[in-house]
Amino acid sequence: MQDTEERSLDSQRVSAESMPNRDFPEGSAAHKGLACCNICHLLSPVAMQRCPRCNASLHLRYPHSIQRTLALIFTAILFYIPANLYPIMTTTMLGDETSSTILSGVVLFVEHGSYFVAFVIFTASILIPLAKIIIILWLCYATSKQSRLSRAELTRLYRATEFIGKWSMIDIFVVAILVALVQVSSIMAIEPGTAAQAFAGVVMLTMLAAHQFDVRLMWDKQQ
Amino acid sequence: MQANSQIACFDCDLLINVPEMAENHSLICPGCHSKQFTKYKDPLNYSISFASSAIIMLFLANSFPFLSFEAQGQIRTITLIQASQEMYTLGFVVLASLVYAFMLLLPILYLVSLLILLVPIKLDRKPFMPVFIGRLMGFFLTWVMVEVFIVGVLVALIKVIDLADIIIGFSFWAYIGFVIFFTLTANIANRHQLWDWIEHARH
Repeated sequence: MQDTEERSLDSQRVSAESMPNRDFPEGSAAHKGLACCNICHLLSPVAMQRCPRCNASLHLRYPHSIQRTLALIFTAILFYIPANLYPIMTTTMLGDETSSTILSGVVLFVEHGSYFVAFVIFTASILIPLAKIIIILWLCYATSKQSRLSRAELTRLYRATEFIGKWSMIDIFVVAILVALVQVSSIMAIEPGTAAQAFAGVVMLTMLAAHQFDVRLMWDKQQ
Repeated sequence: MQANSQIACFDCDLLINVPEMAENHSLICPGCHSKQFTKYKDPLNYSISFASSAIIMLFLANSFPFLSFEAQGQIRTITLIQASQEMYTLGFVVLASLVYAFMLLLPILYLVSLLILLVPIKLDRKPFMPVFIGRLMGFFLTWVMVEVFIVGVLVALIKVIDLADIIIGFSFWAYIGFVIFFTLTANIANRHQLWDWIEHARH
Protein backbone atom coordinates (compact mmCIF):
# COMPACT_ATOMS: atom_id res chain seq x y z
CA MET A 1 0.00 0.00 0.00
CA GLN A 2 2.69 2.39 1.09
CA ASP A 3 4.82 1.20 -1.79
CA THR A 4 2.26 2.10 -4.43
CA GLU A 5 1.70 5.43 -2.75
CA GLU A 6 5.38 6.19 -2.92
CA ARG A 7 5.59 5.12 -6.51
CA SER A 8 2.68 7.33 -7.50
CA LEU A 9 4.32 10.24 -5.68
CA ASP A 10 7.50 9.52 -7.60
CA SER A 11 5.74 9.45 -10.94
CA GLN A 12 3.99 12.70 -10.04
CA ARG A 13 7.35 14.22 -9.28
CA VAL A 14 8.75 13.11 -12.61
CA SER A 15 5.78 14.45 -14.55
CA ALA A 16 5.94 17.75 -12.71
CA GLU A 17 9.61 18.15 -13.45
CA SER A 18 9.48 17.13 -17.08
CA MET A 19 6.59 19.44 -17.92
CA PRO A 20 7.63 23.06 -17.42
CA ASN A 21 4.85 25.30 -16.19
CA ARG A 22 4.66 28.04 -18.80
CA ASP A 23 2.73 30.43 -16.55
CA PHE A 24 5.96 31.21 -14.76
CA PRO A 25 9.20 32.75 -16.12
CA GLU A 26 12.09 30.50 -17.07
CA GLY A 27 14.67 29.95 -14.33
CA SER A 28 12.08 30.28 -11.57
CA ALA A 29 11.32 27.38 -9.25
CA ALA A 30 7.65 27.46 -10.16
CA HIS A 31 8.55 26.98 -13.85
CA LYS A 32 9.92 23.56 -12.92
CA GLY A 33 6.95 22.78 -10.68
CA LEU A 34 9.01 23.28 -7.52
CA ALA A 35 7.44 25.08 -4.58
CA CYS A 36 9.28 26.86 -1.79
CA CYS A 37 7.63 25.97 1.53
CA ASN A 38 6.10 29.04 3.19
CA ILE A 39 7.14 27.90 6.65
CA CYS A 40 10.59 26.33 6.31
CA HIS A 41 11.64 27.44 2.78
CA LEU A 42 12.42 23.87 1.67
CA LEU A 43 12.16 23.36 -2.06
CA SER A 44 9.99 20.41 -3.11
CA PRO A 45 7.79 19.44 -6.06
CA VAL A 46 4.39 21.07 -5.67
CA ALA A 47 2.81 17.75 -6.63
CA MET A 48 3.75 16.42 -3.18
CA GLN A 49 1.14 18.79 -1.72
CA ARG A 50 2.72 18.78 1.74
CA CYS A 51 6.24 19.84 2.68
CA PRO A 52 8.24 16.70 3.55
CA ARG A 53 10.12 18.60 6.24
CA CYS A 54 7.47 20.60 8.14
CA ASN A 55 4.19 19.21 6.75
CA ALA A 56 2.86 22.63 5.71
CA SER A 57 0.74 22.58 2.54
CA LEU A 58 2.74 23.50 -0.54
CA HIS A 59 1.74 26.24 -2.97
CA LEU A 60 3.64 27.73 -5.88
CA ARG A 61 2.28 31.13 -4.76
CA TYR A 62 0.26 32.10 -1.67
CA PRO A 63 -3.36 31.17 -2.41
CA HIS A 64 -5.60 34.23 -3.01
CA SER A 65 -2.71 36.47 -1.97
CA ILE A 66 -4.06 39.71 -3.46
CA GLN A 67 -7.66 39.18 -2.27
CA ARG A 68 -6.55 38.47 1.29
CA THR A 69 -4.13 41.39 1.33
CA LEU A 70 -6.81 43.77 0.05
CA ALA A 71 -9.39 42.50 2.57
CA LEU A 72 -6.96 43.08 5.45
CA ILE A 73 -5.94 46.50 4.13
CA PHE A 74 -9.56 47.68 3.81
CA THR A 75 -10.21 46.52 7.39
CA ALA A 76 -7.12 48.46 8.46
CA ILE A 77 -8.45 51.58 6.69
CA LEU A 78 -11.73 51.23 8.64
CA PHE A 79 -9.78 50.97 11.92
CA TYR A 80 -7.68 53.98 10.90
CA ILE A 81 -10.71 56.33 11.10
CA PRO A 82 -11.52 55.87 14.83
CA ALA A 83 -7.78 55.69 15.54
CA ASN A 84 -7.47 59.31 14.43
CA LEU A 85 -10.83 60.70 15.58
CA TYR A 86 -10.91 59.43 19.17
CA PRO A 87 -8.44 60.46 21.88
CA ILE A 88 -5.43 58.17 22.26
CA MET A 89 -4.96 59.26 25.88
CA THR A 90 -6.52 61.47 28.53
CA THR A 91 -4.34 63.46 30.89
CA THR A 92 -5.75 64.59 34.23
CA MET A 93 -3.66 67.35 35.77
CA LEU A 94 -4.89 68.85 39.05
CA GLY A 95 -8.46 67.98 38.16
CA ASP A 96 -8.22 69.29 34.60
CA GLU A 97 -8.92 66.66 31.96
CA THR A 98 -7.37 67.01 28.52
CA SER A 99 -7.86 64.43 25.79
CA SER A 100 -5.38 64.28 22.97
CA THR A 101 -5.70 62.55 19.64
CA ILE A 102 -2.64 61.33 17.72
CA LEU A 103 -2.54 64.50 15.65
CA SER A 104 -3.08 66.91 18.55
CA GLY A 105 -0.20 65.22 20.37
CA VAL A 106 2.09 66.09 17.48
CA VAL A 107 0.74 69.66 17.30
CA LEU A 108 1.38 70.07 21.04
CA PHE A 109 5.04 69.17 20.62
CA VAL A 110 5.44 71.56 17.70
CA GLU A 111 3.94 74.37 19.81
CA HIS A 112 6.36 73.55 22.62
CA GLY A 113 9.24 73.72 20.17
CA SER A 114 10.24 70.03 20.57
CA TYR A 115 10.50 69.49 16.84
CA PHE A 116 12.47 66.26 17.12
CA VAL A 117 9.89 64.45 19.29
CA ALA A 118 7.12 65.84 17.11
CA PHE A 119 8.93 64.42 14.10
CA VAL A 120 9.40 60.97 15.70
CA ILE A 121 5.74 60.70 16.71
CA PHE A 122 4.50 62.11 13.41
CA THR A 123 6.61 59.59 11.48
CA ALA A 124 5.75 56.56 13.61
CA SER A 125 2.04 57.21 14.17
CA ILE A 126 0.84 59.07 11.09
CA LEU A 127 3.32 58.79 8.25
CA ILE A 128 4.28 55.08 8.51
CA PRO A 129 0.77 53.58 8.85
CA LEU A 130 -0.52 55.74 6.03
CA ALA A 131 2.52 55.02 3.84
CA LYS A 132 2.15 51.30 4.52
CA ILE A 133 -1.50 51.28 3.48
CA ILE A 134 -0.77 53.25 0.30
CA ILE A 135 2.31 51.16 -0.63
CA ILE A 136 0.52 47.84 -0.14
CA LEU A 137 -2.46 49.04 -2.22
CA TRP A 138 -0.04 50.19 -4.91
CA LEU A 139 1.87 46.88 -4.86
CA CYS A 140 -1.41 44.98 -5.29
CA TYR A 141 -2.15 47.18 -8.29
CA ALA A 142 1.42 46.73 -9.62
CA THR A 143 1.02 42.93 -9.82
CA SER A 144 -1.56 43.37 -12.56
CA LYS A 145 -0.29 46.40 -14.46
CA GLN A 146 3.00 47.53 -15.91
CA SER A 147 4.50 49.95 -13.42
CA ARG A 148 7.00 52.76 -13.74
CA LEU A 149 9.30 51.27 -11.10
CA SER A 150 11.29 48.15 -11.88
CA ARG A 151 10.42 44.85 -10.23
CA ALA A 152 13.58 44.99 -8.12
CA GLU A 153 12.61 48.44 -6.83
CA LEU A 154 9.07 47.29 -6.02
CA THR A 155 10.51 44.27 -4.21
CA ARG A 156 12.75 46.51 -2.14
CA LEU A 157 9.74 48.70 -1.37
CA TYR A 158 7.84 45.65 -0.17
CA ARG A 159 10.69 44.44 2.05
CA ALA A 160 10.96 47.94 3.55
CA THR A 161 7.22 47.96 4.24
CA GLU A 162 7.42 44.55 5.87
CA PHE A 163 10.40 45.56 7.99
CA ILE A 164 8.90 48.85 9.15
CA GLY A 165 5.56 47.21 10.02
CA LYS A 166 6.06 46.69 13.72
CA TRP A 167 7.62 50.12 14.32
CA SER A 168 4.22 51.85 14.27
CA MET A 169 3.53 50.05 17.54
CA ILE A 170 5.75 52.70 19.24
CA ASP A 171 2.75 54.86 20.05
CA ILE A 172 0.98 52.04 21.89
CA PHE A 173 4.07 51.36 23.99
CA VAL A 174 4.44 55.09 24.73
CA VAL A 175 0.86 55.16 26.02
CA ALA A 176 1.47 51.99 28.06
CA ILE A 177 4.56 53.46 29.74
CA LEU A 178 2.93 56.85 30.37
CA VAL A 179 -0.18 55.24 31.87
CA ALA A 180 1.95 53.16 34.22
CA LEU A 181 4.45 55.87 35.11
CA VAL A 182 2.37 59.03 35.43
CA GLN A 183 0.05 58.05 38.27
CA VAL A 184 0.96 60.53 40.97
CA SER A 185 -2.13 60.62 43.14
CA SER A 186 -4.16 63.86 43.01
CA ILE A 187 -1.52 65.64 40.90
CA MET A 188 -1.65 63.94 37.54
CA ALA A 189 -2.79 60.73 35.90
CA ILE A 190 -2.93 59.42 32.33
CA GLU A 191 -5.52 57.03 30.95
CA PRO A 192 -5.50 55.28 27.56
CA GLY A 193 -8.22 56.25 25.09
CA THR A 194 -10.36 54.36 22.60
CA ALA A 195 -8.06 55.28 19.73
CA ALA A 196 -5.21 53.25 21.24
CA GLN A 197 -7.11 50.02 20.64
CA ALA A 198 -8.10 51.02 17.12
CA PHE A 199 -4.52 52.02 16.38
CA ALA A 200 -3.16 48.69 17.61
CA GLY A 201 -5.69 47.12 15.23
CA VAL A 202 -4.36 49.20 12.33
CA VAL A 203 -0.77 48.17 13.04
CA MET A 204 -1.57 44.46 13.36
CA LEU A 205 -3.84 44.38 10.30
CA THR A 206 -1.27 46.12 8.09
CA MET A 207 1.38 43.67 9.35
CA LEU A 208 -0.88 40.73 8.46
CA ALA A 209 -1.63 42.27 5.07
CA ALA A 210 2.08 42.63 4.33
CA HIS A 211 2.62 38.98 5.28
CA GLN A 212 -0.16 37.84 2.99
CA PHE A 213 1.23 39.68 -0.02
CA ASP A 214 3.31 37.48 -2.32
CA VAL A 215 6.16 39.50 -3.91
CA ARG A 216 6.89 36.72 -6.38
CA LEU A 217 3.69 37.65 -8.23
CA MET A 218 5.50 40.72 -9.51
CA TRP A 219 8.31 38.62 -10.94
CA ASP A 220 5.86 36.35 -12.72
CA LYS A 221 4.91 39.05 -15.22
CA GLN A 222 7.06 38.90 -18.31
CA GLN A 223 8.81 42.21 -18.81
CA MET B 1 23.90 22.75 5.35
CA GLN B 2 25.12 20.63 2.48
CA ALA B 3 26.42 22.35 -0.62
CA ASN B 4 24.89 21.82 -4.06
CA SER B 5 21.39 21.83 -2.61
CA GLN B 6 18.90 24.10 -4.29
CA ILE B 7 16.77 26.87 -2.85
CA ALA B 8 14.30 29.28 -4.43
CA CYS B 9 14.70 33.01 -3.79
CA PHE B 10 11.83 34.08 -1.56
CA ASP B 11 11.52 37.38 -3.40
CA CYS B 12 11.73 36.47 -7.09
CA ASP B 13 11.49 32.64 -7.02
CA LEU B 14 14.76 32.21 -8.92
CA LEU B 15 16.35 28.77 -8.50
CA ILE B 16 19.69 29.12 -6.72
CA ASN B 17 22.32 26.41 -6.25
CA VAL B 18 23.69 26.87 -2.75
CA PRO B 19 27.49 27.02 -2.99
CA GLU B 20 29.99 25.95 -0.33
CA MET B 21 29.95 28.95 1.99
CA ALA B 22 32.59 30.41 4.27
CA GLU B 23 31.74 31.69 7.75
CA ASN B 24 30.10 35.10 8.03
CA HIS B 25 29.23 35.09 4.35
CA SER B 26 25.73 35.77 3.07
CA LEU B 27 24.05 34.28 0.05
CA ILE B 28 22.67 36.97 -2.27
CA CYS B 29 20.12 36.14 -4.98
CA PRO B 30 21.77 36.74 -8.38
CA GLY B 31 18.44 37.79 -9.86
CA CYS B 32 17.05 40.39 -7.45
CA HIS B 33 20.02 40.88 -5.04
CA SER B 34 18.01 40.14 -1.92
CA LYS B 35 19.82 38.45 0.96
CA GLN B 36 18.85 34.83 1.45
CA PHE B 37 20.71 33.88 4.62
CA THR B 38 24.02 34.27 6.41
CA LYS B 39 26.24 31.49 7.61
CA TYR B 40 27.59 32.14 11.09
CA LYS B 41 30.48 30.63 12.99
CA ASP B 42 29.57 27.79 15.35
CA PRO B 43 25.83 28.63 15.31
CA LEU B 44 24.73 25.92 17.76
CA ASN B 45 26.94 27.01 20.66
CA TYR B 46 26.43 30.72 20.01
CA SER B 47 22.64 30.36 19.80
CA ILE B 48 22.45 28.43 23.05
CA SER B 49 24.68 30.89 24.92
CA PHE B 50 23.01 34.03 23.54
CA ALA B 51 19.54 32.63 24.22
CA SER B 52 20.51 31.74 27.80
CA SER B 53 22.04 35.20 28.31
CA ALA B 54 18.85 36.79 27.01
CA ILE B 55 16.75 34.76 29.46
CA ILE B 56 19.01 35.75 32.37
CA MET B 57 18.78 39.42 31.33
CA LEU B 58 15.00 39.18 31.13
CA PHE B 59 14.92 37.63 34.60
CA LEU B 60 17.00 40.54 35.92
CA ALA B 61 14.80 43.03 34.07
CA ASN B 62 11.80 41.68 35.97
CA SER B 63 13.48 41.75 39.37
CA PHE B 64 14.33 45.42 39.84
CA PRO B 65 12.60 48.82 39.39
CA PHE B 66 12.25 49.83 35.75
CA LEU B 67 11.63 53.59 35.97
CA SER B 68 10.87 56.12 38.68
CA PHE B 69 8.94 59.34 38.26
CA GLU B 70 9.33 62.12 40.81
CA ALA B 71 6.96 65.08 40.87
CA GLN B 72 6.42 67.52 43.74
CA GLY B 73 7.91 65.31 46.40
CA GLN B 74 6.07 62.18 45.37
CA ILE B 75 7.89 59.26 43.81
CA ARG B 76 6.24 56.70 41.58
CA THR B 77 8.33 53.60 40.77
CA ILE B 78 7.22 51.00 38.25
CA THR B 79 8.48 47.57 37.33
CA LEU B 80 8.60 46.24 33.78
CA ILE B 81 5.43 44.20 34.10
CA GLN B 82 3.46 47.26 35.23
CA ALA B 83 3.70 48.68 31.72
CA SER B 84 0.89 46.30 30.80
CA GLN B 85 -0.62 45.73 34.27
CA GLU B 86 -1.80 49.32 34.74
CA MET B 87 -3.79 49.26 31.51
CA TYR B 88 -5.35 45.98 32.63
CA THR B 89 -6.51 47.50 35.93
CA LEU B 90 -7.98 50.44 34.00
CA GLY B 91 -10.08 47.98 31.97
CA PHE B 92 -8.12 47.96 28.70
CA VAL B 93 -7.75 44.19 28.68
CA VAL B 94 -7.02 43.71 24.96
CA LEU B 95 -4.45 46.48 24.85
CA ALA B 96 -2.77 45.24 28.04
CA SER B 97 -2.57 41.67 26.70
CA LEU B 98 -1.08 42.86 23.40
CA VAL B 99 1.61 44.93 25.11
CA TYR B 100 2.37 42.05 27.49
CA ALA B 101 2.61 39.53 24.63
CA PHE B 102 4.74 41.71 22.34
CA MET B 103 7.34 42.81 24.87
CA LEU B 104 7.55 39.87 27.31
CA LEU B 105 5.54 36.71 26.67
CA LEU B 106 6.35 35.96 23.00
CA PRO B 107 10.10 36.70 23.30
CA ILE B 108 10.40 34.39 26.32
CA LEU B 109 8.36 31.67 24.56
CA TYR B 110 10.64 32.00 21.54
CA LEU B 111 13.81 31.70 23.60
CA VAL B 112 12.54 28.76 25.68
CA SER B 113 11.39 26.93 22.51
CA LEU B 114 14.81 27.47 20.97
CA LEU B 115 16.53 26.01 24.02
CA ILE B 116 14.12 23.05 24.16
CA LEU B 117 15.12 22.36 20.57
CA LEU B 118 18.86 23.04 20.72
CA VAL B 119 19.99 21.69 24.08
CA PRO B 120 19.08 18.05 23.20
CA ILE B 121 20.81 18.49 19.81
CA LYS B 122 23.91 19.74 21.61
CA LEU B 123 23.78 16.67 23.90
CA ASP B 124 23.26 14.34 20.92
CA ARG B 125 19.75 13.40 21.96
CA LYS B 126 16.52 13.51 19.99
CA PRO B 127 14.71 16.81 20.57
CA PHE B 128 11.05 16.84 21.60
CA MET B 129 8.64 17.49 18.68
CA PRO B 130 11.16 19.51 16.61
CA VAL B 131 8.81 20.31 13.70
CA PHE B 132 6.04 21.59 15.95
CA ILE B 133 8.50 23.76 17.89
CA GLY B 134 10.03 25.10 14.67
CA ARG B 135 6.63 26.16 13.35
CA LEU B 136 5.69 27.77 16.67
CA MET B 137 8.96 29.73 16.71
CA GLY B 138 8.27 31.22 13.30
CA PHE B 139 4.91 32.44 14.58
CA PHE B 140 6.36 33.86 17.82
CA LEU B 141 9.14 35.74 16.05
CA THR B 142 6.70 37.57 13.74
CA TRP B 143 5.11 39.31 16.72
CA VAL B 144 8.13 39.98 18.91
CA MET B 145 8.55 43.77 19.30
CA VAL B 146 11.23 44.15 21.97
CA GLU B 147 13.27 46.71 20.05
CA VAL B 148 10.15 48.76 19.31
CA PHE B 149 9.27 48.69 23.00
CA ILE B 150 12.66 50.18 23.93
CA VAL B 151 12.18 53.06 21.48
CA GLY B 152 8.65 53.50 22.86
CA VAL B 153 10.07 53.84 26.38
CA LEU B 154 12.59 56.44 25.19
CA VAL B 155 9.88 58.51 23.45
CA ALA B 156 7.70 58.30 26.59
CA LEU B 157 10.63 59.56 28.67
CA ILE B 158 11.17 62.52 26.34
CA LYS B 159 7.47 63.32 26.71
CA VAL B 160 7.54 63.52 30.50
CA ILE B 161 11.07 64.78 31.09
CA ASP B 162 9.82 68.38 31.43
CA LEU B 163 7.13 67.40 33.95
CA ALA B 164 9.26 65.61 36.49
CA ASP B 165 12.55 63.99 37.40
CA ILE B 166 13.04 60.58 35.85
CA ILE B 167 15.21 57.95 37.50
CA ILE B 168 16.21 55.08 35.23
CA GLY B 169 16.28 51.82 37.15
CA PHE B 170 18.52 48.79 36.81
CA SER B 171 15.78 46.85 35.00
CA PHE B 172 15.89 49.31 32.13
CA TRP B 173 19.55 48.51 31.42
CA ALA B 174 18.91 44.79 31.89
CA TYR B 175 16.08 45.00 29.34
CA ILE B 176 18.41 46.72 26.85
CA GLY B 177 20.89 43.88 27.37
CA PHE B 178 18.06 41.45 26.79
CA VAL B 179 17.13 43.15 23.50
CA ILE B 180 20.73 42.94 22.29
CA PHE B 181 21.06 39.22 23.15
CA PHE B 182 17.63 38.48 21.70
CA THR B 183 18.52 40.14 18.38
CA LEU B 184 21.81 38.23 18.21
CA THR B 185 20.01 34.94 18.90
CA ALA B 186 17.30 35.55 16.30
CA ASN B 187 19.96 36.46 13.72
CA ILE B 188 22.12 33.39 14.25
CA ALA B 189 19.21 30.95 14.56
CA ASN B 190 17.71 32.29 11.31
CA ARG B 191 15.05 30.36 9.44
CA HIS B 192 17.53 28.56 7.19
CA GLN B 193 19.71 27.48 10.10
CA LEU B 194 16.77 26.54 12.32
CA TRP B 195 15.19 24.19 9.77
CA ASP B 196 18.58 22.74 8.97
CA TRP B 197 18.90 21.71 12.62
CA ILE B 198 15.37 20.35 12.66
CA GLU B 199 15.97 18.30 9.52
CA HIS B 200 19.12 16.76 10.98
CA ALA B 201 17.40 16.13 14.32
CA ARG B 202 14.68 14.08 12.62
CA HIS B 203 17.10 11.52 11.19
